[in-house]
Amino acid sequence: MRDIPIRDLRAAAHPSPAHPGARGAAEPVRGRLDRAVSDAGGLERLPGRLVRREGQPPGADPAVTEAWEGLGYTHSLFWNMFERDSIDDQGLTLEATVHYGRNYDNAFWDGERMVFGDGDGQVFNRFTSSLTVIGHELTHGVTQFTANLAYEGQSGAINESLSDVFGSLVEQHSRGQSAAEAGWLIGEGLFTDQVQGVALRSLKAPGTAYNDDVLGKDPQPAHLSGYIETEDDNGGVHLNSGIPNRAFYLVATALGGNAWDTAGRIWFDTLTSGTLPRTVDFAGFARATSRAAVTRYGAGSREHDAVIAGWSAVGLGGGLGAGSVARSGIPPVRPSVSGRAVVDPGSHPE
Amino acid sequence: MKVVVSRSGGFAGIRTTWEVQVDEQPDRSSWAELLDALPWDEVSETAPQPDRYVYRIRCAPHEVVLGEQQVCGPWQKLIDRVRGVNDEL
Ligand SMILES: [Zn+2]
Repeated sequence: MRDIPIRDLRAAAHPSPAHPGARGAAEPVRGRLDRAVSDAGGLERLPGRLVRREGQPPGADPAVTEAWEGLGYTHSLFWNMFERDSIDDQGLTLEATVHYGRNYDNAFWDGERMVFGDGDGQVFNRFTSSLTVIGHELTHGVTQFTANLAYEGQSGAINESLSDVFGSLVEQHSRGQSAAEAGWLIGEGLFTDQVQGVALRSLKAPGTAYNDDVLGKDPQPAHLSGYIETEDDNGGVHLNSGIPNRAFYLVATALGGNAWDTAGRIWFDTLTSGTLPRTVDFAGFARATSRAAVTRYGAGSREHDAVIAGWSAVGLGGGLGAGSVARSGIPPVRPSVSGRAVVDPGSHPE
Repeated sequence: MKVVVSRSGGFAGIRTTWEVQVDEQPDRSSWAELLDALPWDEVSETAPQPDRYVYRIRCAPHEVVLGEQQVCGPWQKLIDRVRGVNDEL
């Protein structure tokens, strides 16, 4: 619900004439990149001082440069692969603030901009150092302007997963990596050498990104049977996202090639369909991806089968039409007790 | 009397907890004043913002959950103080 007031605020703050990239000209130029990076100077105040705009040369601050380039790579994935013009599909300026707070171990999306801390140097390096983090934060913007998924419980974990999925795709696309070549890590290099861990999360193998004496072990489940019920973290949105993350990884690697071409397209279609309920649960999201695959590639297509198999492998295949799983290469997994294996004949493709 | 501050969420989703035994603090009367003055019953629900921290603050019989964006004034003072005591350990 808060999406609407934010949009209104933004419209008031950036009236069309001051926004030539989107709609100032008689013939609007779609897909024109428009970025703005600000520096909070160690304070927890937003937006901070504007330090770089489009057309200006790079400066000496690596955090500004990383944010700047990351915004560019993220815009490139969404525009060149999915024909989406910035987070609102109307050329909205991509805004970031770096150097937020002192030793601030976090990055977030405040509804208008991405905000990055420098890390404390003991556990975390600066948060702009991984492109996946920048792609993740901007995807929160895309989600806000589209399905606007409620940021708690299962819909919150899907919101998180979508940010991880497209954050990973931004990195894969920028590196020209296929699904088989990609590392499928979120926040690689964010931990200092003092931490035993390669990244914050792994889409390929949730729960294995780190295992450290101080931080403990990566708590993400990779299957619905490990779903974590908690009141922390808005209902474990950064924990349970491991389940849909792994489903996406399985679909992308089963299909092969570049993950953004097919699996990414199905997930993007799902996110932007306009029919995803704001409080959708895992099972509903799985069904929505299956429908999106049918719409684009056809019922019983290789893509449709891969989607069913991916969700089945994480315990969410119930109701997706398991009859076509056998053709896709990933063995069907017997639904677990908590697998919500509800048969929904209406969604069966045949 | 014990104060527990638990921070969850954030991009990393790593939970951190800090505790203070108020009775063992040299300045326990000033702790008691701070705790008494907190607006425990005036915390309103707010829409969560993606990747922001979530703070759970407990001091029996009170317990509140605050989004990072709601942490200011006396709550900020309390969290800084609890973390400060833990940093000294
Ligand atoms: Zn996030």
